[in-house]
Order: sequence, then structure tokens, then C-alpha cells
Amino acid sequence: MADTPKGISVSRQDDRIYVRVVGRGTFQNSQPLQQFAGEMIEQGEKEFVVDLEQCQGMDSTFLGVLAGIGLRLREIGCPSALRVINIGGRQMESLRTLGLDRLFDIQTGRQTVPEGADFCPLADADVTQLTHPLTKEEAANLILEAHNNLVRADKRNALQFRELTRSLREAIDRRRARGRDKE
Amino acid sequence: MKDFQIEKESRGPVQIIRLNGSLDMYSFPRLEAQLNAFFRLGQYLMILDCRNLEYIGSAGLGALIALAKQAREHNGDLRLLNLPERIYKVIELLGFTKVLQVFDSEEAALASFQTN
Repeated sequence: MADTPKGISVSRQDDRIYVRVVGRGTFQNSQPLQQFAGEMIEQGEKEFVVDLEQCQGMDSTFLGVLAGIGLRLREIGCPSALRVINIGGRQMESLRTLGLDRLFDIQTGRQTVPEGADFCPLADADVTQLTHPLTKEEAANLILEAHNNLVRADKRNALQFRELTRSLREAIDRRRARGRDKE
Repeated sequence: MKDFQIEKESRGPVQIIRLNGSLDMYSFPRLEAQLNAFFRLGQYLMILDCRNLEYIGSAGLGALIALAKQAREHNGDLRLLNLPERIYKVIELLGFTKVLQVFDSEEAALASFQTN
């Protein structure tokens, strides 16, 4: 465990995808997870286990990306197929606040991943060492999509994120208008 | 991770709120409660000193924009001071420097309210 790399690492074991978050899960390292999970679901994977034992915190974008995975699994007939293990009290409170405790299967108590699980770090998922930071457009689109996922997961989130999503849409529109002006 | 702490200081009609630690979904309600307490007293000129702010989440940024707009509806504003570079980059990346005014010095931030 001591040599677990910072960031997001993944492993496939017994028809499950294990995701380990070390350090923070933020909008800056959400995209590699979003892409990886999307590809895995396309390939037929239907069960994800997210280990938060070494996670120091998650922002709403990261939680929105996890919500997107949970929602996609629900759409393909696998509700509660995103399991969260080794979650801390503070992170549990965040999940409850956003209503994600009803979307995810949250396992309390110490859980271990299978022996021999070989974790591989996702590229550019360590927020302290980003080699290809998101562009402005990628960041705005990712955060917007993640917060839309949170609203889809629980309608009560709409009010809380109304200003953020509105400001992001405005920023995206401004950028597009500037792009059109340059053409 | 440091506990989130808030210190308050009045400079005439302007309230300076100094933030210390991480502003995330867990800690943000404390700041929101503090700002709303000022708003209830009719005080809408706010400076958030972010020199010791270690982190701000995306939801916290959205909520800051909402509070700034609320202050502006009452001829006030919520302005940011001493943003660490990494946090400024996030705000700039998201295009939020158009809606949140950012200052490098307390004098400039205070003066900006006098010129309104």
C-alpha cells in the first residue's frame, strides 16, 4: 500500500473494475476516470468498486463524474453496480448531501481489494503532476456535465448548482462567440 | 488537511473575511452562513482574503458567484484578494474572472469600493 501512486489507479479483477483514489479527486483528474469508465462500460464491464481509503477529498465535479458512471450503469440495467468502499466520515457526508448514497452501494467498515490486484495508474490523474492540463473548454464542459449528472441523480441538487452551471454555460457561450468573431 | 477557519475584520463599511484552509462542500456552509449574517445586517461590501486558502472546490466557486451576485443586487460586491496562483488559475480556466473581481493588494481592493 505504501507505494500506491498518487492519483487514480485501476485494476480489473473477477469481472470487477477497481478504482483507487489516492490524494484528491477533483475536476483536474476527473476526465481520465470518466474516459476509462466509459470505455470499460462500452466493453461490457458492469461492476465498479471505488476505494477511497487513501482519498483526501473529492470535489463536486469528481463526485459528478462518479454519479455519471452510476447513472450509466443504472441505464444499462445494473443499479447499485458502483460500490464505494473505505469511505471516510467527511466524504460520506458529501455523498449524503448530494443524494449519491441512494445511487451508489456504499459499504461501511473496512473492505479489502482482492489479493494480487495489480493497480495501474491512469495517465494524468495525479493533480500534483499534471502533464496535459485541461483546456478552458474541456474544463468547462467537464464540470458542466458532472454537475448535470448530480442534478440527474438528485433533483434537489439543481438549486445548489444553479449558479455554477449558469456561469459555466455563459463562459462557454462567450468563448464560442469569440471563436465565431475570429472566423 | 488544515481545519477551515474564518477571521473577520471591519474596515469602515467593508468587511474583510480572511480564509484559512480548504473551502470544500464540507466547509463552505460555514462561510455562506457568515456572509448571510452580514447580508442580514445590510452589509454587502465584502472582501475575501484568500492568502491562506489552500483549496477551493468547483461547487464552492459556484456558490461564491451566487453570493457575489446577491451582494451586487444590493449595490455591494464580493471581491477576492490575494488568491494563490493555483486557485487563480482554476478561476481563470473556468472563465470566472469575468464575474469575480480579483485583487493583489488590500489597498486596491478597498479602493475599488470607494470608486464605485
